[in-house]
Amino acid sequence: MSLSVLICDDSALARKQVKKSLPDNWDVEVRVASNGLEAINMMREQIANVLFLDLTMPELDGISVLELLKLKRLAEYVIVISADIQPEMQKRVTELGALAFIQKPVNPEKLSNILKEYGLL
Amino acid sequence: MIEITITEEQRDCLQELINVAMGRASDKLARYLQTFVHLQVPHIELVSSAELPQTFAETYGDDNVTLLSQGFYGQDGISGETLLIYRADHTKNIAKILGYAPDEVSEMEQLTDISSILTTTFLNGLAEQIENQIAYSAPRVISSRETSIERHLQDLSFNWELALKVAISYQVTDYEFNCDMLLLIPGVAIENIQQVLNQILEEY
Repeated sequence: MSLSVLICDDSALARKQVKKSLPDNWDVEVRVASNGLEAINMMREQIANVLFLDLTMPELDGISVLELLKLKRLAEYVIVISADIQPEMQKRVTELGALAFIQKPVNPEKLSNILKEYGLL
Repeated sequence: MIEITITEEQRDCLQELINVAMGRASDKLARYLQTFVHLQVPHIELVSSAELPQTFAETYGDDNVTLLSQGFYGQDGISGETLLIYRADHTKNIAKILGYAPDEVSEMEQLTDISSILTTTFLNGLAEQIENQIAYSAPRVISSRETSIERHLQDLSFNWELALKVAISYQVTDYEFNCDMLLLIPGVAIENIQQVLNQILEEY
């Protein structure tokens, strides 16, 4: 069965960049959300095996999503893809349970390596 | 009046380029000040030169501000101005952040250094993403204690009617120190940046 992937970013361009960066041979079903609130609602309908999460977003930002996910496991693996690359931010998201941090614009090779590293590919 | 509209796709694309550039700039600032810099979603809109001084006055009112203004010029007719704005009551907190006794001379030096870090990192980050090369003019410092900001904005918008305005806020919440960055891309440069955005959009 294919994995459920959710891409959450307020930018349509960024969502397309992430989607295009996913490995060709990866058997996944991709959904997209344009802010944290939308993502939470979508994961309540169906949990995400992998969540690609932006941080700076309106409505509900990435940090708040990570905090909510600590209370309720709606996503199995969270990979943060953000332009906010401050060391403290990277530390904060890892502490909140994110598997990895990728800086924007997303690099497809780096993305594949992380997926391989955690046996998702 | 020239007729320019910016589509939702173009605005979204520009916002993402700005996000990446401001993310790099805030990372540099955070390392320099050894503190965390809070970022918000940047605000993008078209403004007319006539309304620019007024919108500025609405934001800052009677507060004393220091403004550092710097022009930039790239290839393909990409050009504009970056304005960095600091409120006087925030400026005194810089000494606290960097841990030295406050005095006005070093305050001004620090504002110049911080502005240089933010502007060059931001513009280089933007240029890299649109595969451009950008040159800068020397920054000008304007203090509202001595000069009218309104006058500077009028001089700045002397030869254009409309500009694409991007408003970014770098907030050091731990020390109550904010730096507002305004990016103005005026006149025909708007259409030039729109072409660049369209090329990026075609790739996706």
